[in-house]
Amino acid sequence: MNIFLKLILRDLKSIFSGGSDAGAALFFYLLAIIMFPLSFGSDSVLLTKISGGAIWMAALFSSMLSLDRLFRSDYEDGSLEQLVLSGISLEFVVITKCFSHWLTNGLPLVILSPILSIIIGLNIEYCWILVIALFLGTPSLTLIGAVPAALSCTIGKGGVIITMVVLPLMLPVLILGSGAVISEVSGLGGAGHLYALAAIFPISVVIVPFLASKAIRLGWE
Amino acid sequence: MTGIINYLANPGRFRRVSQKIYPWSLGSTVLFLLLGLWFALYNSPPDYQQGETVRIMYIHVPAAWMSLFIYSTMVLLSIFSLVWKHPLADLLCKSSAPIGASFTLIALVTGSIWGKPTWGTWWVWDARLTSVFILFLIYMGHIGLVRSIEDHTKSAKAAAILTLIGAINIPIIKFSVDWWNTLHQPASIIRVDGPTIHSSMLVPLILMAISFMSFYFSFVLLNTQTELYKRRLKTIFVKSLIEGKK
Repeated sequence: MNIFLKLILRDLKSIFSGGSDAGAALFFYLLAIIMFPLSFGSDSVLLTKISGGAIWMAALFSSMLSLDRLFRSDYEDGSLEQLVLSGISLEFVVITKCFSHWLTNGLPLVILSPILSIIIGLNIEYCWILVIALFLGTPSLTLIGAVPAALSCTIGKGGVIITMVVLPLMLPVLILGSGAVISEVSGLGGAGHLYALAAIFPISVVIVPFLASKAIRLGWE
Repeated sequence: MTGIINYLANPGRFRRVSQKIYPWSLGSTVLFLLLGLWFALYNSPPDYQQGETVRIMYIHVPAAWMSLFIYSTMVLLSIFSLVWKHPLADLLCKSSAPIGASFTLIALVTGSIWGKPTWGTWWVWDARLTSVFILFLIYMGHIGLVRSIEDHTKSAKAAAILTLIGAINIPIIKFSVDWWNTLHQPASIIRVDGPTIHSSMLVPLILMAISFMSFYFSFVLLNTQTELYKRRLKTIFVKSLIEGKK
C-alpha cells in the first residue's frame, strides 16, 4: 500500500510541475461544452435536450486527449523499466497510473459537471444523475483507453490509428452514460443504465492491467 | 486436438494441407450457395406481412451470424496466440478480419435495404444496429492497426490485445434485442425453446448459412496461404541479396 501511495504521489508531482497536459485537457472540456450552445443556437428547449449528451461527449474527448500521454513520458525516459526492474509488477504500475489519471482528469470532470450542466441548460433537479453517471463512467473511460495508450508507446508512430481504435471501444460507456441522463429527463428512470455502467468498471479493472502491461512489454522485447 | 494444432504449426505443412482442403470447401460454398439461392428466391413462400422483401433476410441473417462468429473465432485465436505464441493463430486472425468486416458491412447494408420498405426508414439508432456498427468500426480499427505496424510479431500481438478488448461488444450485440426494447426483432432461430420460424423458411436460411460458413473457411485458408507466400518471398529475396554479395 505504501508503494501505491508513493507511485501516485510521484505521478501527481510530475503532473502538477507541468510535466503533462492534464490542465489543457480540462480546459478543452470547458471549451468543447461552450461549442454546443454556439453551434446549435441558444434555444433553451433544444439545449436542455442535448445537454447530457454534450457533457458526455466533451468528457470523452477530454479524457482521450490526456490518455495519449498516460505511459509515454515514463516509457520514453526509461523510468517504467526501472520501476519493473526494482520488483514492482507492471500490472500494479498500470493500475496506479490509471488511478492518478482518473484523479487528475476524471475527478475534475465530475466536479465541474454540475456547474457546466447548469450553464448549458440542464434542469438542476437532474444534475445528480449526471454526476453519478460521470462518477461511474469516467474510471471505465480511463481504463479502456489505457490499453491503446500503452500500444501507442510501443508502436511509436500512428497516433491517428490509436484514436480510430480507441473511440469504438469507448462508445458503450458513452451510450450508457448519456442514456442514463436522457431517460431520467424523459421520465423513464435512468437507474438501469447506471447499473450497466457500474458493471463495466469491475470487468475492465480486471482485464485492463494484464492487457496494458502486455502491450508495454511488446516494446521491450 | 493439441496434436493437430501442433502438427499444423509448421507453415509448409499447413500450406500443403490447406491446399488440399481449399477446392473442396470452395466447391461446397458454390454448391450450397446455388441450392440456398434457389430455395430462397423461388422455392419459399413470401411472408404474409413483409411480402417479397422477406427474401433479403436469407442474405442478411447468415451474414450477421458470420460477423459475430468470425469475431468470436478471432477472440479465441488471440487468446491462443497470446498464451501459446502459436504462429498460425496470428496469421489466421489477421486473415479473418477483412472477411469479418465484409460480412458485417453486408449485414448492415442488406438490413438497411430491408428496413426502408418495412420500417419506413433506412437507419435507426437502436441498440442492435448501433452495436453492429460499432463491431464494424472495431474490425476496421483491427485492420488498420495490423497494417500500420511493420514488424510481424509486434503487429500480431498488438492486434490480439485489441481483439480481446473489443470482445466485450459481442455479448452486447447478441443480447441487445433482449435487454433493450428495440425496433429490430428478437431472435427467432437460436432460442432456448427452439426456432419459431416455419421450416419452409428455415431450410434456405440454413443452406445459406452453411454456404457462408464454408466461404469464410475457404477464404481464410486462401488469405493465410497468400500471407505465407509473401513472407517466403521476402526471405528468398533477402537470401538472394546475401548470396549476390558473396
